[in-house]
Amino acid sequence: MNDFTLLLPEFMVAGLAFLVLAADFSLPAKRKGLLPYLAAGGLAAILAFSLVDLRGQEGSLYDGMLVVDDYALFFKAFFLALGIVVVLSSVEYVKRHLEYPGEYYGILLFTVVAAMLLAASRELLTAYISLELLSFGLYVLVAYDRYNPKSNEGGAKYILLGALSSAFLLYGISQIYGLLGTTRFDGIHEALAATPDMSPGVTVGLVMIIAGLGFKVAAAPFHMWAPDAYEGAPIPITAYLAVGSKAAAFALALRLFGEAFMPAAADWQVVIVIMAALTMVIGNLGALVQRNIKRLLAYSSVGHVGYLLLGIAALAAVESGGGVSTDLSHLASNGVMLHLVAYGITNMAAFLAVAVMYGVTGSEEIGSLAGAGRRSPFVGVVMAASLFSLAGLPIFAGFASKFYLFSAAASQGLLWLAGLAIFTSLISLYYYLMVVRQMYMEPAADPARVRIPRVTTAVLGALFAGMVLAGVYPAPLLDAMQSASEAITSSSGVLTLAQR
Amino acid sequence: MELAHFQVLSAALFCIGLYGVLARRSAVLVLMSIELMLNAVNINLVGYAAFVEASEAHRALGQVLVVFVITVAAAELALAMAIILRLYRNRSSVNVDEIDLMRW
Repeated sequence: MNDFTLLLPEFMVAGLAFLVLAADFSLPAKRKGLLPYLAAGGLAAILAFSLVDLRGQEGSLYDGMLVVDDYALFFKAFFLALGIVVVLSSVEYVKRHLEYPGEYYGILLFTVVAAMLLAASRELLTAYISLELLSFGLYVLVAYDRYNPKSNEGGAKYILLGALSSAFLLYGISQIYGLLGTTRFDGIHEALAATPDMSPGVTVGLVMIIAGLGFKVAAAPFHMWAPDAYEGAPIPITAYLAVGSKAAAFALALRLFGEAFMPAAADWQVVIVIMAALTMVIGNLGALVQRNIKRLLAYSSVGHVGYLLLGIAALAAVESGGGVSTDLSHLASNGVMLHLVAYGITNMAAFLAVAVMYGVTGSEEIGSLAGAGRRSPFVGVVMAASLFSLAGLPIFAGFASKFYLFSAAASQGLLWLAGLAIFTSLISLYYYLMVVRQMYMEPAADPARVRIPRVTTAVLGALFAGMVLAGVYPAPLLDAMQSASEAITSSSGVLTLAQR
Repeated sequence: MELAHFQVLSAALFCIGLYGVLARRSAVLVLMSIELMLNAVNINLVGYAAFVEASEAHRALGQVLVVFVITVAAAELALAMAIILRLYRNRSSVNVDEIDLMRW
């Protein structure tokens, strides 16, 4: 029967979300500053609990719709930690620029639950519901600054295109259900492996699902909403959108493509490869012409989605006879997870630094960062380090993860794509350096020192330490990822499909 | 009545909806077109559930999927209308061509 203790972390985060909403009702207005600390403290306790309680646990609930394994645990820990960072980065911004802090933190916590469930779901409908719960929260948060027309506009574009992408995803799911007879990942895997020729209907379903997920992660050619939603959203939410929503969608994609669709790799790999190449090029070229720092980071995150898609494509090696070899898929899935972590830490640091400077200058233009390196040496160093890490320069996390990811792709035979990834990384160095130049070479309009709140300093310091640590010594992280990868690839085992 | 009828109807409705999303200028009508696409999904699911030869549980799954799609679509619609209403209050327009504060 179902062992509901396996779902305790999810229940606790949902409970915490309601608790925050209830506390918002009962606290007097001047005490509402406590809400983020309640949320962050609760998340930290739940993170500690899940790491202790769920380590090495295996189990499935609701007839295999949700699984608890090392892979789910890895992403649960990731999303809980991310939740803490986002909540703490929001403290200052929400206090100054937004109304209704209770709902803000409550909705944020619900999106954390959704992301955790998404990593644990092993069935298409469950995955879809979790994805929608996550998206609904994000739609509201993007449009949260309700008197700001840019925030409205970003939210409207996001929800219209998000709803469109759901329609695509659902049409794909209905095709898979109708033609393969199941929505469970292991069932889809068996059904695909058993049919030597794939019917065109299933191909339509696959392509629709890829398009739907492509919208959610902002992969080209479905990325048009991303820069607008990112620019319009409050800065901490932009960071969360760039890291959390992508990590959640990729947590689903790894399981979906690594397990369910693996036997059909010959059919989807080429689609993902083309999308990855397009996304890398469009994201990095688009960033070159940006004046707004949030928009620049948005395009850069589109570029990073290209690198992550490269990892998804590298999950399988399609052999000339049509067989699929999964001998090296754990390398690719490790690479994707490592890059998600590295990119997550780095992007949170970059956006938090941007938020600090926005609090002082009130402008999001790249020009407003002029002299930031002298106005606040600490923020300058963290920002520069995170930009270098995003570009993939050594000693920072971005280098280790890009190196791992690209070499995994190369070892799966996607050499030209890995080459393109390195080339586009070089392009990205140019626009990151332009920002660094603003911060250190240009004179500041107002040379006064910037005062940083203590919480922000602590979060920035922790993220900076994480960035360097993950870049210099990623071994413990990789161990956790290895056992996570084994959890998603072991059920299929090494798969050589002679019949395809 | 065969399965193919349902599939063709569903595919046609999906394409009409997609056309509406691309061609309509009012955000509310874009939203209605998206609803059309979601209903195409429902027809597809109902058709499969009714005609595919399979166990009871498998058929029920298709119908359960429909119920979930309807529910989530209703929630999505409410949320989208709220955001579009906000847009209208701030800008007195819901024409998607005029929503262009941010370009490139």
